[in-house]
Amino acid sequence: MECWSMKIATLLLPICLLTITGVSSGQDFKKEFVDPMPQDSRSAAVKVKGGTMLFLAGHTASLPQGNAEHGNFEAQFKRVFDKINTTLSQAGATFDDIVTMSVFLTDLRYIPEFNKLSKEIFKKGFPAVTFVEVSHLARPQLIMEIQPIAVIP
Amino acid sequence: MKRLSFYFGIGLACLARPAFAQQREMILPVPQSAYSQAVKIKGGTLVFLSGVGPADEKGVLAAPGDFPGQVRATWENMRRVLAKAGGSVDDIVTMTVYTTERRWGEIFTDMRKEVFKTGYPSSAFMEARKLKTPGALLEIQAIAVLKD
Repeated sequence: MECWSMKIATLLLPICLLTITGVSSGQDFKKEFVDPMPQDSRSAAVKVKGGTMLFLAGHTASLPQGNAEHGNFEAQFKRVFDKINTTLSQAGATFDDIVTMSVFLTDLRYIPEFNKLSKEIFKKGFPAVTFVEVSHLARPQLIMEIQPIAVIP
Repeated sequence: MKRLSFYFGIGLACLARPAFAQQREMILPVPQSAYSQAVKIKGGTLVFLSGVGPADEKGVLAAPGDFPGQVRATWENMRRVLAKAGGSVDDIVTMTVYTTERRWGEIFTDMRKEVFKTGYPSSAFMEARKLKTPGALLEIQAIAVLKD
């Protein structure tokens, strides 16, 4: 009888340990897009449980030499998301991990163009987005700054 | 036999998913302005909200030109979005408030005292040149943490 119980115990213990570590090592990751609004390229909210959080700085089209990318809105948009992508990949993340972003623009009339270009970036669901028009960004040529938060599964 | 039931008990306890209570602590609350300098929290589900303003689901602006009216409408909309996510305004841990005129700060913080009953979130308040909904005088960007 004693032998029996020990056998059951040795079988049970590894299962228990696996259950515990499975719960704490992020296998429990859950993500939900609340009230998605694809026509506006955003979700009313994004709900996440578990995962690793990544808080990004505000990204702009500034180049390392100090000048900003000149040209139109689309050129700055692409430059900003290129830089965001570089930051994300350093942390092992992708665009799809972005859950929210604050978008600071010097002119809110760019929003429709922003939303159109956003559809090329977010393929698995849109993050929460807040647009704010500001009078100035860090450099005179800049027309947008984007500050995202990502959660990596 | 006793030992058998002991190990079996451990087994059952392990299989039950651990339900740790959420720990939430408001650091240095500033009750006169209805915010805390920080909110410390462990566990729970995060909800990142898009900016919420005084326009309803169809995009119709509430209370044009009336700041207190727009504040009330904004909190109504905030309650609606959070309810869809399975939470309430009490789950908000931090918020950034954008307004088109910073002189409304005091009205906003006075009204916020009526919104939060279980402790104040951290908050930043600033003037924006313009907000997304034409005629909107404020917009709130919030992060909430729901209890599991």
